[in-house]
Amino acid sequence: MVPQGAANDSPQHSRMVSTPDLTPNRVVPLPDTEGGPQPSTRPIIVFERVNKTYPNGNAALSEVSFTVHPRDFVFIVGPSGAGKSSVIRLLIREEAAQGGHVLVDGQDLGRLRRRHLPRLRRKMGIVFQDFKLLPTLTVEQNVAFALQVTDPGRRHLKEKVAETLFIVGLEDKLHRFPDQLSGGEQQRVAIARALVHRPRIFLADEPTGNLDPDTSWGIVQLLLQINHRGATVLVATHDREIVDLCRQRVIALEDGRVIRDETGGQYLEAGEATL
Amino acid sequence: MNPLPALRFVFRSAVQNLMRNLGISVASLLTVTLTLLGAGAAVVVVHALDNVLHTEESRASVLKVFIADHVSLASIMNMDGQLATQPDVRAVAFENKNEAAREASAPGGLNLKGALRLLAKTGGGNPLPASLNLRLRTISDVTSVNQAVRSSAIIYQGPHPTDYNPNVIPRLERYILIAQVAGVLLVALVGAVALVIITISIRTAAFVRSQEIEIMKLVGATEWFVRWPFIVEGMLVGVVSAIIAAAVLLGGGFALGSGHTLALGTGLHFALGVSGALIVAGAVLGGFGSMVGVRRSLAV
Repeated sequence: MVPQGAANDSPQHSRMVSTPDLTPNRVVPLPDTEGGPQPSTRPIIVFERVNKTYPNGNAALSEVSFTVHPRDFVFIVGPSGAGKSSVIRLLIREEAAQGGHVLVDGQDLGRLRRRHLPRLRRKMGIVFQDFKLLPTLTVEQNVAFALQVTDPGRRHLKEKVAETLFIVGLEDKLHRFPDQLSGGEQQRVAIARALVHRPRIFLADEPTGNLDPDTSWGIVQLLLQINHRGATVLVATHDREIVDLCRQRVIALEDGRVIRDETGGQYLEAGEATL
Repeated sequence: MNPLPALRFVFRSAVQNLMRNLGISVASLLTVTLTLLGAGAAVVVVHALDNVLHTEESRASVLKVFIADHVSLASIMNMDGQLATQPDVRAVAFENKNEAAREASAPGGLNLKGALRLLAKTGGGNPLPASLNLRLRTISDVTSVNQAVRSSAIIYQGPHPTDYNPNVIPRLERYILIAQVAGVLLVALVGAVALVIITISIRTAAFVRSQEIEIMKLVGATEWFVRWPFIVEGMLVGVVSAIIAAAVLLGGGFALGSGHTLALGTGLHFALGVSGALIVAGAVLGGFGSMVGVRRSLAV
């Protein structure tokens, strides 16, 4: 189940659906993640026989086990209701597991005190399908917001924000408001906001769910670059094309159970029924 | 975390919240102002009523013990000394027959001037008894002291050996208790209304900003960092409302009063004290209401 040195291979560019708005060859100086590169001996994420049932009786996860090492890039795939988003919610401790253990960076989230939750979340960057941008703030303000509410006295805040927006290719749209941007650009702002405090773990819940294929590819390339620079990236998605192009580690869920976990995998195994 | 930028962020966010939800802010400001105005007015009215009742209580706490005629001065002084050592008795004053007649004749007294003059002309003399006037510590002591002195041998043995009126004292005690309880209940009720209004308005503000709160929590802001702008917002609403309410109360008091005494005989010091208390209450109610209002939005 545990991938040995999960591959961070570049996507197969010859199979790209069309020209992405951020080409793989663009030289983007990604900053170091907090704490620098991590040794790959100890897993950074551990799911150990995790069960999760929601109050309405819906069993979202059942005996789910997997480990993720630092610098891994992992797709969590499966049809709607398979439990992908529940994995993300458990990782950010928005929900608590009823059985088993979820460990992040050696810390058992089941034993995490509520007051220590902010410290956990500062290790992570999170993006969602619906971007969750504040419509009354500009691009620059949206990204700065993440730093202002966690470390309002931080020095060189403006420079940090500008640097992060350069990474995601929005350096010329600092003063635009979200409704003046395309869907792909909005997701880039969300990624910049998640990236600005240099997280070690980057979580994306259906990041391309609202985007067309071309734009989706650009977003995934950005996530790959973030991973290349040292962050562990988990992407929950049902975007088959993207998963198959990237040839990264794939954990497939169905009815809350892990049905497949392989490095360099595809969304569907040959001969498997369409989900 | 550096406290100064954090404070700047908290205050800026609080003011931004107020301005962003200007309609709700003005509505809650006016409602809380009216509520605090009601609370302030209730305190002033209860205080005025309390003053009246305490004046009456002070008067009623004096028990006149009538002395039988022809009792020796030594016996009277002996009883005076005994009563003065009682813990319930604050002071004892002897009033002779002449003083009793003068008091009865004085304007505002029993108005017996004509009757006494007539008695003097017809040789009837002064029928009013001398008395020991006891100033008691509290009105509740009057009944027991009245019972105790009745057994004394030097007391006037008529139908009314003291001026104790069994109808007045218990009734007065009851009125004072009712006024005090009503005052406390009224102020508590008005305070509760202000608390509910502030809680609802902050809950609305938190709902309007639910996405912002969600993002703050997701990027790792502490709960207190999320909570403080709302608490400051509530406190601002409470304090500004209280200042307006206090200004209206003081203005109204001066307009209806005379000189340094405000309406209902309220002193300036008391009025300023009520104003200060209103401002503190506004801040406390605003802060507490906000904590309650934003609590649900912080559930993770």
